[in-house]
Amino acid sequence: MNARTRVALVCLLNLGLVGIAVAGQLSARVTGEEIRLRVEPVDPIDPFRGAYVDLSYAGISTRTTQETGDAYVSLTRRGQVWEATGVTTDRPPEGPFLKCHDDGWRLSCGIESLFVNQDRAREIESEVSGGHAVAVAKVDSRGNAALVSVQAR
Amino acid sequence: MDTEVRPVAPRRLDWLNSETDRWVSEGLLTADTAEKITGQYVASRSGSLTRVISYLGGAFVGVGLVWLVATNLDALSPLARFAGIVVIWLAFTAAAETLPLPRPLRGAFRGIAAMSFGGVVFQAAQSLQVPAYEPSLVGLWGLGALLYAYASTGLAPLVVGIVTTMIWFDWQVVATSESTFAGVFAVLVGGVVATAMAALHDRGRETFAQVWRLAGGVLVLGGLFVAAIPQIGDRDLAWSPTLLVALVIAVLLVAAAAARTTGLSRWEVLASALIVPLGLALVAWDPHVKDFASVSGEAWLSAFVSIAVYVVVAGAVAVDGSVRDQTLLVVLATGALVVFTTMQSFAVFAPIMSGATLFLLLGTLLLATGFVFDRARRGVAANLGEALS
Repeated sequence: MNARTRVALVCLLNLGLVGIAVAGQLSARVTGEEIRLRVEPVDPIDPFRGAYVDLSYAGISTRTTQETGDAYVSLTRRGQVWEATGVTTDRPPEGPFLKCHDDGWRLSCGIESLFVNQDRAREIESEVSGGHAVAVAKVDSRGNAALVSVQAR
Repeated sequence: MDTEVRPVAPRRLDWLNSETDRWVSEGLLTADTAEKITGQYVASRSGSLTRVISYLGGAFVGVGLVWLVATNLDALSPLARFAGIVVIWLAFTAAAETLPLPRPLRGAFRGIAAMSFGGVVFQAAQSLQVPAYEPSLVGLWGLGALLYAYASTGLAPLVVGIVTTMIWFDWQVVATSESTFAGVFAVLVGGVVATAMAALHDRGRETFAQVWRLAGGVLVLGGLFVAAIPQIGDRDLAWSPTLLVALVIAVLLVAAAAARTTGLSRWEVLASALIVPLGLALVAWDPHVKDFASVSGEAWLSAFVSIAVYVVVAGAVAVDGSVRDQTLLVVLATGALVVFTTMQSFAVFAPIMSGATLFLLLGTLLLATGFVFDRARRGVAANLGEALS
């Protein structure tokens, strides 16, 4: 196999690595069901991806099991938004539910960062702090979630 | 016969001229043959200048592309941004591998391709809102760059791959264990892995070996630097799966390097492995200081041992660089020693002696060592090289 063929194969392999990097979010976007959640703001910059709004979810982010590891948050629809009904370390038999990482004091469900430019980040923060925003996310059957947007209510 | 006149650095041509003159005077060469040999070369600085400018340009473009992703150009849709950076990545890869480019430009293009692959990973993650500060993204970038480096035999992608992989490894370990002890352990284990990789590349891929060896020096000296800082943090070794896997890989690589290499390469690997417990011991042996006005004798002993260990290790790295004629390693070790001593003079020794006194003491010690070393300079490097091989 010559060097060019090797490099071409590595390029294909590297595209696969990109897929691995975003597997959970891609699966949720492609196969997931859309849900809406109440949202609260935080606000910084990622050195490689720029400005983002750091979000926490009312009734979800703080619902820890007090143990480190995977946690599953069951959801039920109340009006236009979905709310958490419980959190377990075992995967619920039926959805929708969020698969999160519990670090013992906070849940991270893969939908905490919204990457937008700095101006839009400031607008979203003021909407979110005023309690006028909901997050639109997609959740697949395994609980993988992808944040799609944050909208004013 | 190839009679093309080749550009070489002026210093190298001066050396060749003086050597051929000597060979002629010793009767090893005729004046005519010597003239034919030296006539094949012309002094030129343009080669190194082209190389520096090309690599510098490549580094700026590469960083600029990753930065461009971070600026989040929302005038374009996320899919258009992703497609754009993929096209740039593939275009630079294809250009580097297929166009008849001069060597420095080919290297720069390979570097840009490796950097822009990071842009591809981060743009995909940004477009799909993968949570911020996710270390695995840097790890996948590093893995992709390393794969490209070995497929293309390009040095620039290897540099990008090693730097990003080591950043990922230490970030991942510290993020999962939240322990200074584990952080220092990770950096030192990274140093062992890099040094073992260098040894395994010594036969066949010498240029790759040089880059791995430099990375090993950076990590070993960096890890010891942190380990020698007093009151650095908690001393509980919190294990993480990443650290365990890295430790197993390091042990396997050390065993492979010890079995497959000889001489200096083998000694380097064994020495780097020995530095791991030394570094951990420095972190563990950190007498608690409540009041800096009355520092205990044990605290002073701990500080002096830390600085002595660092001076010995940095000196060994410098000698290694000298024996291998790897200037960057010598510069790294010397620079690390200066920064370390400066830091220690302010952080540790301030209550007992001024920074100036510490510099004068250490400087005098190094000058004395240098004097003794210089007396034997004709023999030391050569004998060391012979003895270890």
